[in-house]
Amino acid sequence: MLIITRRPGEKIMLGDEIVVHVMEIVGNSVRVGIQAPRSVPVYREEIWNAVREENQAAAGSAPTELPDAPSREG
Amino acid sequence: MSTVTVESSRFGSLEIEAGAIIEFPAGLIGLGGRRWAVITKDDNGPFAWLHSLDDPSLALPVTNPWEFFLEYEVVLSDADSERFESADDVAVWVTVRAGTELTDFSANLRAPILVSQGQGFQVINEAAQAPVRAPLFPDAQSEAEAA
Repeated sequence: MLIITRRPGEKIMLGDEIVVHVMEIVGNSVRVGIQAPRSVPVYREEIWNAVREENQAAAGSAPTELPDAPSREG
Repeated sequence: MSTVTVESSRFGSLEIEAGAIIEFPAGLIGLGGRRWAVITKDDNGPFAWLHSLDDPSLALPVTNPWEFFLEYEVVLSDADSERFESADDVAVWVTVRAGTELTDFSANLRAPILVSQGQGFQVINEAAQAPVRAPLFPDAQSEAEAA
């Protein structure tokens, strides 16, 4: 892994089009701005990971026959 | 109309109309795959299958979230909402984790799949109430807990 030290206000380029902007540091949080082309989705890692896990679990779903929807009251 | 044949490991040979193919420029999150189609089976009730055309062994059960969650809302980031011209012609699906028991069934409300004009995107829903694993049959759950 490449490790770079940056100060608030400084930026990192990923290739020519993706800009990671270290905006400010408040307590133990870093605010990061990301500028990327629309074709590059940006995710918080923990959400990306959770969704990836659900997608894999859904793809591994066993039954081919699926149940009916619950009957609605009212 | 031209069709594409997929030798699905789950369903056998599937004929998919070219117009039904959904192009996912970024694939599904963590799964990739650019070309998918929604397969509806008569006996699957509210569920359909999002089937990969690139990998015949890859299919995910999906459902219309409003079949189960009347209050469901999708809130998009600015970047995601720019992908769609109008909310009117966007179809919304959520992936389903299916299991052997009804209590094992859940839907991912956090990352719905939005389809519009032949293009699909799995997006992150910014709404406050959008768990990745929302039970689809909560009543079955409470019965199991009561037993």
